[in-house]
Amino acid sequence: MPHKHAFKVGLFVIIATFLIVSTIGYLVYKKGMFEKVYTYTLSVKSGENLTTGMPVVFSGFTIGNVEDLELSEEGIVLIKIKIPKRHIKWIRSDSVFALDKPLIGSAKIIVQTKNLNSPELSADNILEIATSSDINEMVKRIHPILDTITKIATNIENITADLSNPQGDVHKILKNTQKLTANFSEKSSLLEMAVSDQDSVVALHAAMKNARGITVQIENTLKKVNAMAVKTDEKLYGDEGLLPLVNNILKDLVVKLQKLDATVGNINTISREAAGSAKDMEALREQIDATIYAIQELVDRLDNLVPFKKEPDMRLP
Amino acid sequence: MISLDIPLISNLDVLNNIALIKLYRDNLPKRQAEQLVLKLLNRYKLEDIAYKRSADLTDEHRFCVMLLRAAMINEATIVIDRPFIILHNSQDSSFMKYALNTIDDLYNQCHILDYIWNKDRYIKDNAS
Amino acid sequence: MKTFVEKIGVAAIDMTGSLKATLLFAIKVVFRMFDRNAYNSAVKMVLVEQIYFTSVQILPLFLTIAVIFGSILVIILMLVVKELGMVQYIGRFMIGFMVYELSPFITVILIALRSSSAINTEIAVMKVNKEIRTLEAFHIDAMNYLFLPRIINGIISVVFLNSLFSIVVLATGLIFSNFIFQMSFDTYTDVLINSIYFSDIIIMYLKCITYGVFITLIPIMFGLNATNELTSIPVSVLNGMVRVFIAIVIIEVLSLILKLI
Repeated sequence: MPHKHAFKVGLFVIIATFLIVSTIGYLVYKKGMFEKVYTYTLSVKSGENLTTGMPVVFSGFTIGNVEDLELSEEGIVLIKIKIPKRHIKWIRSDSVFALDKPLIGSAKIIVQTKNLNSPELSADNILEIATSSDINEMVKRIHPILDTITKIATNIENITADLSNPQGDVHKILKNTQKLTANFSEKSSLLEMAVSDQDSVVALHAAMKNARGITVQIENTLKKVNAMAVKTDEKLYGDEGLLPLVNNILKDLVVKLQKLDATVGNINTISREAAGSAKDMEALREQIDATIYAIQELVDRLDNLVPFKKEPDMRLP
Repeated sequence: MISLDIPLISNLDVLNNIALIKLYRDNLPKRQAEQLVLKLLNRYKLEDIAYKRSADLTDEHRFCVMLLRAAMINEATIVIDRPFIILHNSQDSSFMKYALNTIDDLYNQCHILDYIWNKDRYIKDNAS
Repeated sequence: MKTFVEKIGVAAIDMTGSLKATLLFAIKVVFRMFDRNAYNSAVKMVLVEQIYFTSVQILPLFLTIAVIFGSILVIILMLVVKELGMVQYIGRFMIGFMVYELSPFITVILIALRSSSAINTEIAVMKVNKEIRTLEAFHIDAMNYLFLPRIINGIISVVFLNSLFSIVVLATGLIFSNFIFQMSFDTYTDVLINSIYFSDIIIMYLKCITYGVFITLIPIMFGLNATNELTSIPVSVLNGMVRVFIAIVIIEVLSLILKLI
């Protein structure tokens, strides 16, 4: 019985020792403990975040570590890094070293080599390392974003204030458009009489009807825009949002009114030849010009105020 | 020394209780020590108790084991302290005498310490 | 008030005395460990028996616990790491937490529960049965015959079983890293190797050795404190086991401090 125990104990000790020794041996081999190690010197103004033993990383892989840190006579921190022979190919004369301090986790030195065929880095060269900090980077990036968010908030406030103000530009435009269409409907017979061009009159009437339709469309859209002010930014700025719809409609209106302008211009030409109706035609022309100008201004303002294209990825929190 | 105050070690079997002295004092290899003990037990025809523990032994068997353990010391002088406490079923010293005579080559001297009122047990035995 | 302060003073003196006695005994044992004359066939026999009962007999249970417990902890660890987006630190977590800290701790707890209590009871019973006196009568040094093999066995058992536990945990980690992170064998080993430092391995084994010494030495000491009464056995075991757990915690804290230096 006791000899049986001795055999089992012997077997246990042999297997356990073999496992430990082979594991440690494998580690020694993989870590290159007996490999030749090269030492390079880097410099940095501040030793903050630097520790001995911190890793030197190339393409996400640890290729060495910091062996020693010392302060030079000039007050510059000198960092001695150890690189095993098998990783020396990643360290070239054009290699750039950067100290990376991530938001979570320990700092590391990152190596970037532009050309792996460049000559080897001399051990006498002292390269300066750049510092990058996740927190600082994030703060830097957040500043412009915060500025843009503030601008957008101001713009939205302006738009909603303008829409709710009965004396605002949008309401003025609407009134102008209504007035214009009313005039057109009143003076249709006069036009026909003055111009005596059946086609131009028909075209003008069609344009007027179209303008009335557009006016209704604008009114509806403005109601939606009012409602939109309290909705989320997704609905406001999304591809199928309300403001793009307003923008499209107003652009459509401009195109159509420009057609109207051409038609009226044609009427003007004809009217110069016809006597007696010039005054009426000029007044009509002025009204159309004023309307087109106002609508164009609105479209331009909307385009400027709402950053549809400038910040397509912007999302409010 | 054979005494109830010097008991067998409870977590060792008979074989190891006896062999322990040779293993520790003479640094005898385990197998050799075991062979020796088995041979000695054979003198009493007690090989079958070799792997038993103290609690499983009879008084006589325990006495033999204690005697053998004491005899494991080279050129031993055996002192038996109040043997009838160990062999409390024995009426006389005949078993003691048999046990001592069986291994008389293993010790130089033997002294028995006992109460005076047990004197008759020894006299009776000597007379017979 | 005075009595209260006095009580604290007495407790402090007792504690200091106990600590001093333990450390002195430990030093004595360590010195004896390096004495060649301390080793003979009897000591070797006891050592083999002790290793058998502490390490070999427990092996099936120990490996089962290592596989089940290790797998559960590895899965939890990996899922947490994945959720936190810290996959690049999986090696540090596996080595730093599972191998350097958890593995020795679970190993020593298992051995203490099973063997320390057994040693404490065994010595206390020997004391009550006057078997220690038997050893003295035959000029057998209890330190060499009883204590040394048990303490060496403690060291061997903790070191070997801890290594086995670590290997089992790392092996289960390989399987689950493949399932959870689709990590290949080469990537997994590279990640682990980059996270292993020999200084940490040395500290881990030093911790295991210290555990091994104290989880056997303290029960021996408390076993020897038993009186001739049978009722002193449970008292001795109770006190001994409490001190063993205190010792485990102190050693764990000291090892963490050593790592930080």
